[in-house]
Amino acid sequence: MTTTIETQIITRFGPKANETDILKKCGELMNIFGLSAEDLFLKWESYVITTSTVDNELQLSLPSLNKFQEFLQMKLIKSNQKTPSSNAKRPVMRTTPNMNIIPSTPMSSMKKRRLEAPGLRSADTSYTNGGDSSPVAPSPSATPSKQTESGKILETLNAHITPSNSISQAKLKLFANFNPQKYKFRTMNQKLLEVADYLDEQIDATAKVLLNHYKFEASDFGNPNVQSQTEILTVGRIVPDSPLTPYDADLNPNSLFLETSRSGGIGQRVQLNISSIENFSFFPGQIACFKGINSTGEFFKASKSYPIPYLGSPVSSLSDLNTYHQDLAGDNMKVVITSGPYTTQNDLSYDLLSRFVDKMNNEVRPNTLIMFGPFLDVTHPSIQSGNLSFDTDKTPTTLTEVFKFVITPILKRLTCQVILLPSTKDATSKHAAYPQDSFDRKHLGLPKNVKCFPNPATFQLNEVLIGCSNNDIFKDLKDVNGGQKMKQSRFDRVAEHVLEQRRYYPVFPGGLKQKKTKSLIAENDTGVLEHVSGADLHVPYMGLTEFNESLPDVLVIPSELKFFCKIIKNVLIINPGSFVKMNAPGSYCLMNLVPPKVEDLSKADDVDDVYLHNVWKRARVDIIKA
Amino acid sequence: QNSTTLQPLESTIPDSDRFRDSKPLKLTCPSCQHFFPFGGIQSSNNYQITHSGIRCLSCQFVLPPLSVSAQLESFLRTQISQYYAGWLHCDDCGITTRQVSVYGRRCIGISGKAYGCKGIMRYLYSDKALYNQLLYLQSCFDVDKAKKRALKPLYEEFSGDVSADDKENKPSVMSQGELDALVEQNRSLFEVYQGVVDNYLEDCGRRYVDMGGIFGFMSAFEK
Ligand SMILES: [Zn+2]
Ligand SMILES: [Zn+2]
Repeated sequence: MTTTIETQIITRFGPKANETDILKKCGELMNIFGLSAEDLFLKWESYVITTSTVDNELQLSLPSLNKFQEFLQMKLIKSNQKTPSSNAKRPVMRTTPNMNIIPSTPMSSMKKRRLEAPGLRSADTSYTNGGDSSPVAPSPSATPSKQTESGKILETLNAHITPSNSISQAKLKLFANFNPQKYKFRTMNQKLLEVADYLDEQIDATAKVLLNHYKFEASDFGNPNVQSQTEILTVGRIVPDSPLTPYDADLNPNSLFLETSRSGGIGQRVQLNISSIENFSFFPGQIACFKGINSTGEFFKASKSYPIPYLGSPVSSLSDLNTYHQDLAGDNMKVVITSGPYTTQNDLSYDLLSRFVDKMNNEVRPNTLIMFGPFLDVTHPSIQSGNLSFDTDKTPTTLTEVFKFVITPILKRLTCQVILLPSTKDATSKHAAYPQDSFDRKHLGLPKNVKCFPNPATFQLNEVLIGCSNNDIFKDLKDVNGGQKMKQSRFDRVAEHVLEQRRYYPVFPGGLKQKKTKSLIAENDTGVLEHVSGADLHVPYMGLTEFNESLPDVLVIPSELKFFCKIIKNVLIINPGSFVKMNAPGSYCLMNLVPPKVEDLSKADDVDDVYLHNVWKRARVDIIKA
Repeated sequence: QNSTTLQPLESTIPDSDRFRDSKPLKLTCPSCQHFFPFGGIQSSNNYQITHSGIRCLSCQFVLPPLSVSAQLESFLRTQISQYYAGWLHCDDCGITTRQVSVYGRRCIGISGKAYGCKGIMRYLYSDKALYNQLLYLQSCFDVDKAKKRALKPLYEEFSGDVSADDKENKPSVMSQGELDALVEQNRSLFEVYQGVVDNYLEDCGRRYVDMGGIFGFMSAFEK
């Protein structure tokens, strides 16, 4: 392979080509159109035949080669026009001259080919590593010892309830308590004034609730920013005492301000003194109600705080409950809940997910499977660095195609009813804000037993009202606490806040993940903070994240913190844990709910025949190793 | 809504000006980890456009389509998330915060009490900047713009006082013939990449407010 381009050209085109400008032009054309000397000559020959006249054969010259170039260019444009762009999913890799290193084969056989090119060792290793992440190859992280642990119960709530081993597979009735159309708002146009409107209304709306509940007089409310002689009532938002406080700073009882609404105190903020309040837990974004006095004009001294009353629990009629009972033929309702990520940080193998699907189909056989994203995490290192490939029939060229060609075939095998909720980190969701529109089921090629729900979503499975939100409030809510509250587990306090505040994500401003990168310029540099991800709140639409009329029976909010299941205010609170955690199999949740029997339920109303669901008493919840 | 945001002349502004503040798309070569700014079909010291895609000049590896589209999407999503972080800046006292007053534009001030400073708060990352960022990424894969050499240049033109070093480092300009061929050879591949950006442009609220912007965007497809 030591022949020069020049010799190659002369070999094909003959000695006539042995002229500097012709050789140069031919070499240029080979480069431009990606042709070998042989290919160029074949194209030239057919060009000569089609353009020459009987008495005037086209000669090899610089002007004729220039015309030849125009001809090649026209052909290229025409061939593009023939192929509609929608079909052009896979670019063709053609043979290349003087570029031995570039694989001359289509993508699928690239790996094999590359192994034959010893000159590119570094390239080969990194690239084939990515190639190993095929859905069939065993995941390197799922070592045999870990696999044997799969299925192990890590935590159980209500262990006295016997899990069901039956395979009823009855279809549960599913009712959506949301309007999917409302999530179809356009993103990336958040207006500051609309954000402010929502934040203002939130305070006034809560004030109304408190006024009605505690039977306050409207005249009892005052402006906590102004000095006064008498105690007043006030409702406002807890905020840090400085605009420079990072959202995740550890606040203390002396660093809190209370922000008033426009009508409550022309939006001003006053220092809050809570030294008289014994048991407390406050966080930025919380709407709180206090009785107190601002006697100096400097700070508002709270003497009492009034919690926002909890919403009631959902109820069902006796006839509905009987129907659900019959549908299940006395069997437990089985619901499995999983949360992404579904791959390790090292590669993008969906092997563990694939095995899980088999297990659901053959062993566990739940009635319904609720799956939270991210399925394809846009912050995954392989995606950020572009080092990824898949061994599939069709080679994906985009992340959406990765979902379609790699993840969809796995999910398609599920035989039960499936509910998918996206994460704002899901590459497949183009609505990258919370509240978040659902996945496009048809576009992703998912079958009809898969329902795509927005984030958050409240829905009913038979009588059970389930609230689902995929924004990590357990990680993002950092409170200042004291007294009895300090002795509680943090998860309990956060769950109580979510229920009391009546919204899935009550923190404001939302969570933020940044990474420190060393600046190369400045010495003595503390580093530059680079944005990684966040809660991505689209505030003017946060109304969609509020509870409707009642508390849910079950509240599911996945968190990257440790899995748990607990009962708070008679609501079953579940964090199934990440399906893959710390590069090893994580956990999922299985709920066994004993069918509703009237004698086990409590009558909610003496007038109407309606009953509380008491799911927290009837459900056994297991957290299981994935 | 606010009709003052309409900028009918937007489309007539050259990309070099319009995308002045847009962040460059940086690609990592999956083979040698070379990290370089990508500016579409134009000359670069870091990459070369071949008939089969983007080639890393550090190791000669041609980046697979999925590698490019994944990095493009990841970059784009980081931009959207950064936008949603909602950083605000006061044009008077200069504080930068994510807290929002119930009046929105009112400055909370260094006192934190939301009075005193008369400055106006604005988002540091405006929806216009994000929209422009999306349009910039789209333009990077716009082969017709490349053909007309209308892309934002990777190597800024300096006025006079450019050092000899910079002049030497500037890659030589492609011939029109070469450019024309590369444009057609990469058309379908670059349409795949543009499709990635388009998915987000479709959801971008600003596009439906800023009529100047939308016409500017469409004019890229005329002729
Ligand atoms: Zn490279
Ligand atoms: Zn200010």
